[in-house]
Amino acid sequence: MILFSQTQRAHHRILGLLFILFLIISAQAGVPTALAAPDQSSRVEQSGQTSNQQVVHVSQAVRDGKLAPTVHVLASLPPTTILQFPLVPSGIKAKFPDATALVTIVRGDRDDSASDTVTVDVQKMPPNTTFTIFFIELANKPFGNVQYVADLTTHGDGSGESVFHIITLVSFAMDARNPGTSQDDKEGQTSGTNLEHMGMWFSSLQDAQKVLNDDTITGTIFDGGNPPLHAGPQAMTDGQTAPVF
Amino acid sequence: MIAWKHWVMRRPILPGLMAFAALLAVVLSAYPVAANLNIDAARQQRSQNFRPQTLQQMVRSHRLASTVQVLASQSPSVIVQFPLFPSGVKAKFPQAQGVVTIVQGNPAVSLFDTVTVDVQHMPPDTTFTIFFIELANKPFGHVQYVADLHTRDDGTGDVTFQTITLVAFAADARDPGTSKDQSGDASGIQLEHLGMWFSSLQDAQKILGDNTLKGTPFDGGSPALHAGPQALTDGQTDPVF
Repeated sequence: MILFSQTQRAHHRILGLLFILFLIISAQAGVPTALAAPDQSSRVEQSGQTSNQQVVHVSQAVRDGKLAPTVHVLASLPPTTILQFPLVPSGIKAKFPDATALVTIVRGDRDDSASDTVTVDVQKMPPNTTFTIFFIELANKPFGNVQYVADLTTHGDGSGESVFHIITLVSFAMDARNPGTSQDDKEGQTSGTNLEHMGMWFSSLQDAQKVLNDDTITGTIFDGGNPPLHAGPQAMTDGQTAPVF
Repeated sequence: MIAWKHWVMRRPILPGLMAFAALLAVVLSAYPVAANLNIDAARQQRSQNFRPQTLQQMVRSHRLASTVQVLASQSPSVIVQFPLFPSGVKAKFPQAQGVVTIVQGNPAVSLFDTVTVDVQHMPPDTTFTIFFIELANKPFGHVQYVADLHTRDDGTGDVTFQTITLVAFAADARDPGTSKDQSGDASGIQLEHLGMWFSSLQDAQKILGDNTLKGTPFDGGSPALHAGPQALTDGQTDPVF
């Protein structure tokens, strides 16, 4: 009997220890959950507030017609601002009517960004061809002031992507001898001439003549380096009158 | 011979298939070569002009500034470096300096250049704008706003950005004109110098202790002329890139 009760007691102790162990494990397992909870709630709070004033401001600019209707302002978390807009075929429209492009501009903190990140994705373009990318004053001819910012070489299936980092949302052209001012629809009056459109050009006139099967096409300035006018015609454009960025 | 003819007559489709396969093999092997040649044609000129040896020769012949270092990088990369000197901050920060490193991968296929600007002994906790410029010093001429740099508390700072650099140019497409660059005549006006400006006139007035400083156009956004004076410049007459 004594032996039995000792065995029972031992079992009770073991059960008790197991119960305590269970409680400790449960408590420890609960710690991360408890720690995570405020984060989740704060995230919910943040998303609930959606107080990204920059997104509100830029979205309003689209509604007011200060930015083109093709511009999509994503509901990004503060302090980021993310814009997207399409490019449509211009010089390649006849041969590549289904060519498409999507431009995504990501900016971090308005007051602390070293540069914007621009991603250009294209599809159904002439394959294995290099295009230059310019920020331009006007989406269509005569294009006005321009800034050469990147290249994009398409893959064999006509798709392609280019990612680059440069000042974009407040880009401007200027001759510092006579800078002048212009009206930036997002910012107000600014120095220089704002570059608020984007276009893509054939980097090689020969490529353009071959791809478009037209030997009468003449050279343009839309590539750097020697010789002058060795680039081809515009291939893609945002095509808008109102700014796209 | 008769047996071959007989065999062909009995299986007329086989020679056709063999010929088609041979043709397909030739096309598949030739296509990438042709495609590469197509791209190469457009990039060949750049490739030739941005070889390290060619650039070193340009430094010796003063077509590039004497401050430019063309590094002995592994082929096919091209790496050039040049210093920045204090201009507007010279009186208060005479030790301020910057090093610009431009890295281009394979000039034949490179999509952009990667630019790193490292500064030291600069005004701390201050934002500067970085411009590619036509002229290193006043009146600066045509410019292109490419990046910002915010210094740390110890006056150091660095920024890396990717954009077309070695063949950067400004142009009004209505009247682009031409100008000389390392590769010869090129469209537009070459931007072959680099400078840094105070992004805020108030910062500049405070740091330099001079309330008479006037605003400049060397920052984007509103209002106009809200930037301060030039802080650092490559200071060269000859191009630095």
